[in-house]
Amino acid sequence: MASNEVLIIGGGIAGMQAALDLGDMGITVHLVEKNPSIGGKMAQLDKTFPTNDCTI
Amino acid sequence: MVEFSGEIGSFKAKVHRKARYVDASKCTACGACAEKCPTKVPNEFNFGLNDRKAIYKDYAQGIPSVYTIDPNHCRVFQGKKCGVCAKQCQAGAIDYEQKDSYVDLEVAAVIVATGYDLFDATRIPEYGYGRFPNVISSLEMERLLSAGGPTAGHLARPSVVKGEARLKELPKLIAKAEKDEKTDAASALNKERKWLEEHVHKYPTAKKLGFIQCVGSRDFRFHKYCSNYCCMHSIKEAIIARDHEPETESYIFYMDLRTVGKGFEEYKIRGAKVSGLKYVRGRVAEVLQDEELNPVVYFEDTEQRCVRSMTLDMVILANACSASKGIVTVAELLGIALDENNFVKTHPNKPLDTSVPGIFTCGCAQGPLDIPESVAQASSAAARAAEVVMTGGRALAV
Ligand SMILES: Cc1cc2nc3c(=O)[nH]c(=O)nc-3n(C[C@H](O)[C@H](O)[C@H](O)COP(=O)(O)OP(=O)(O)OC[C@H]3O[C@@H](n4cnc5c(N)ncnc54)[C@H](O)[C@@H]3O)c2cc1C
Ligand code: SF4
Ligand code: SF4
Repeated sequence: MASNEVLIIGGGIAGMQAALDLGDMGITVHLVEKNPSIGGKMAQLDKTFPTNDCTI
Repeated sequence: MVEFSGEIGSFKAKVHRKARYVDASKCTACGACAEKCPTKVPNEFNFGLNDRKAIYKDYAQGIPSVYTIDPNHCRVFQGKKCGVCAKQCQAGAIDYEQKDSYVDLEVAAVIVATGYDLFDATRIPEYGYGRFPNVISSLEMERLLSAGGPTAGHLARPSVVKGEARLKELPKLIAKAEKDEKTDAASALNKERKWLEEHVHKYPTAKKLGFIQCVGSRDFRFHKYCSNYCCMHSIKEAIIARDHEPETESYIFYMDLRTVGKGFEEYKIRGAKVSGLKYVRGRVAEVLQDEELNPVVYFEDTEQRCVRSMTLDMVILANACSASKGIVTVAELLGIALDENNFVKTHPNKPLDTSVPGIFTCGCAQGPLDIPESVAQASSAAARAAEVVMTGGRALAV
């Protein structure tokens, strides 16, 4: 039987954005992350170019 | 992920869920457990520049907001007595018996967003990374600049951070060596202590910074490609360093400054005008260290047409964006192809489609990208996956 869920491997900024978009469309998402927290490299950044906004 | 099969519209995956030894439904993330935990572990999130506990969270705002026990360091898992965290936890969330579990999923589509790894700069020994304390990676610099980082945003030289930690442990080591009557060892430790006491605090703050670009990128020994975002992050780090400490002087050693993106060129110009950054065109050949632990950079100045050297407080490497180490296993499980650099293989006209219909990719798993581009790709990949869900895969299967 066809499923209507999506699997995302990796919870960095890319995986999180894809998960949020799919969630907004009402689609069930399974986000798999190997570390205890999501965020990926972006969580380690101080501020981001080109606006110098805080990351998370 | 441990098992994978099926096809577009109906893939089957088995995912390994690691035990946290903390009940996620009960933990309120109050942190009482970590406060009292006696076991200190070098904090990998800050590249060992400070310590965390054996029960920890990666960072304060981390999601999910749940603590995790690291069984490789926790005393209970090392066969010793402890249980302190269980006593501290008001919510009763600690569960040493929690087991790893497996989750079976059925999904219509998959998105591979496994990102990248920082290029390991010890592979370029002439830059001294790993040998000289004041030569650091780009991500270590981000942690040093961060208000939530190991120095609360103060740009302390790593030799000072590490020297202070060493000074704290030396008295114990010296006392032990003396007690065991190891006189040679004791005098060596005493000598080290004296040196550290005299030198560590001479240059507490890093004010003269050198940024070396293209470390592992555009280098035929390692990655031929350009890593896309590192020119911009070095400029950013130099601007922020100057915001923290107005006396900061920064030199950016580059081959070309690639500032392609909306508002990026203006950012580079602002860096020079407002923050006084100096862009030096030339490749760095070697980094040495003087007796005060200052890195000394030898470089070809292509504008002056000569070889020069410069003594700096700290050197920051713009490490290349390397394919993530785990991607090979993931690709084998999924059956998707990788390119010659181990990024997920895609076609220029279909940058999100892997070699298997119904499996998409986005972000740095696909190649070096900055955040705006990663986010744009992620939304596109989400739309592609939604297309599969809504049509049962018929639209793409042909
Ligand atoms: C020092 C530095 C500064 C930067 N500054 C900026 C900036 O200011 N602005 C900007 O736009 N960009 C910046 N970047 C680039 C930015 O880091 C990337 O664009 C962004 O992090 C890419 O996100 P991602 O989700 O693709 O990858 P990642 O952030 O690497 O996330 C991947 C996630 O997948 C997880 N994962 C990997 N393998 C597996 C697996 N097998 N199973 C489960 N999970 C897995 C990882 O743990 C991680 O959480 C900077 C980069 C560096 C190095
Ligand atoms: S049981 Fe382990 S995690 Fe808990 S306080 Fe003791 S050492 Fe720390
Ligand atoms: S973005 Fe800049 S530093 Fe990074 S590889 Fe390309 S040219 Fe080199």
